[in-house]
Amino acid sequence: MSKRRIWGLVLRHLYNFRRNYDRLVDTFYWPSLDVLVWGLTIFALSRMGQTSPLQIKAIVFAVLLWNIVWRSQSELAVSFLEELWSENIANLMATPLRKAEMILGYLSLSLIKFCLSFTLTSVLAYVLYQVNVLELGFYLLLFIISLMMFGWAFGFLTISLFLRFGTTIQTLAWAGIWVVMPFSAVYYSLSVLPVWVQQISRFFPAAYIFEAMRSVLFTGSARLDGVLVSIGINLLLLSLSLLLFLRSFAVAHKNGIGHLK
Amino acid sequence: MPNLVLQVKSLTKTFKNFTAVDGISFAVKEGEIVGLLGPNGAGKTTTIQMLLGLMTPTEGEIQYFGKSLVTHREVILKRINHTSGYSRLPWRLSVWENLDVYGHLYEVANHHQKIRELAQAFEITDLLPRRVLDLSAGQTTRVLLVKAFLNDPEVLLLDEPTASLDPDIADKIRDYIITERKKRKLSIFMTSHNMQEVEELCDRVIFLNRGQILVEDTPEGLARRNKESEVQLMVKDGLKRLIQMATEKKWNYSEKNRFITLTIPEHEIAPFLNSISKQSIKYADIQIVRPSLEDFFLSVVEEKT
Repeated sequence: MSKRRIWGLVLRHLYNFRRNYDRLVDTFYWPSLDVLVWGLTIFALSRMGQTSPLQIKAIVFAVLLWNIVWRSQSELAVSFLEELWSENIANLMATPLRKAEMILGYLSLSLIKFCLSFTLTSVLAYVLYQVNVLELGFYLLLFIISLMMFGWAFGFLTISLFLRFGTTIQTLAWAGIWVVMPFSAVYYSLSVLPVWVQQISRFFPAAYIFEAMRSVLFTGSARLDGVLVSIGINLLLLSLSLLLFLRSFAVAHKNGIGHLK
Repeated sequence: MPNLVLQVKSLTKTFKNFTAVDGISFAVKEGEIVGLLGPNGAGKTTTIQMLLGLMTPTEGEIQYFGKSLVTHREVILKRINHTSGYSRLPWRLSVWENLDVYGHLYEVANHHQKIRELAQAFEITDLLPRRVLDLSAGQTTRVLLVKAFLNDPEVLLLDEPTASLDPDIADKIRDYIITERKKRKLSIFMTSHNMQEVEELCDRVIFLNRGQILVEDTPEGLARRNKESEVQLMVKDGLKRLIQMATEKKWNYSEKNRFITLTIPEHEIAPFLNSISKQSIKYADIQIVRPSLEDFFLSVVEEKT
């Protein structure tokens, strides 16, 4: 494993990041707009007496935490798409860069962009609505770990599909993750949903986290077993998605990685 | 005997019902420049892609420096490099940024210094701050060549390296390649459609057709396989006698404004010159065009079609 090669891959995307308005919009604009729109909507509802300050907080936290899933998945997938768009994948794969280094490079990049995006949205939430995400305390760290793992698992699944179908399905990089949102209990409690949705939600690790977030908010604590189940499912999903990623790379090599567009 | 830096055994690539490369075997020695020629669809690019590890062969083995590419990928790719006249680089990055990234990926020691040296050699110093997006095709080709030399490769795979380059720049790059070969025994495996370039650079040529090696020889050797030369004359007197002679001998000829071009077997050129002298055929100008590599290439392509 070479740290320098991993840094080389990260650097390639950081150079692109500072020159590419699309990527800046992805990392800063959409998450900020999300906080702004949802926050103002719930703020307006509270003025009409339909929500409590605690509910405002729950929604804003939900927006901040959902962005972790969304950005983690999207940053991975779009970074890979950048190689396909610039027809650089053959050059890259003809270097000594190993698949494991590639994976670590993309994860590091995702982590860097998460820090930038999460810091901005958290500050915005505090300034606009006096909602401090740090109130979640130690749980916040566990929530971030679990949600990032989920986003990454979905991200590698998306890249695996790109390796097989190319950029014809590139919209999955932005839109794919939203398919899990209805079952992740992001903005509402699981208990208010139909039974069949609740049953499906058991398999969605993010649902445990959003339930735990609301529990911390309303009761001051959350059951750790739910968080641990979430991390356990995520470990399984991440391992499966990485296996699929490696398998898809092998298929792409069979067809010729240079033909991938 | 020089070391073999690249050895290919029974390399085959099949796509469903189509065999793109059909059991080819060859080797490249240290310091040798080998050309891979063939018409479109012969299997050249597929071969290069397999040699770079970008495509998994259906069968066969690729070894660099006596080690298998499958089991020693990382070690091998550190010691080789490549470029293609049709490759691209991330277009939003500047030339410097792109080369900086590849310097890290190839773990080049003191790579900023190396980039500056190569940029000077390939005359792209002024392009370093510019985005790849703003470069012409020829400028991008030069940047890709700098990338290819960044890690001081022992084996260089070049796919149409001077395509889209101005003749003067292409010439400088050929000189650079020759110097590097002399200086540090660089081995090169290249494809090109520029036959003059192949004749100038290559020690040996592998001619691929329909995925199989048709012939392997020196550029001169391949050219000589075409046994006929063209003799061009400006005939002052005796044109009819000359045409009669060509007709009797069944030589192809073309004539316009007393300029005649005859296609004559190599061994009959000397008797032909004697003969026209004896028949008092007078000519003002004579030119004998020996068969070239291009003639061989064209003859194979014609056979194919």
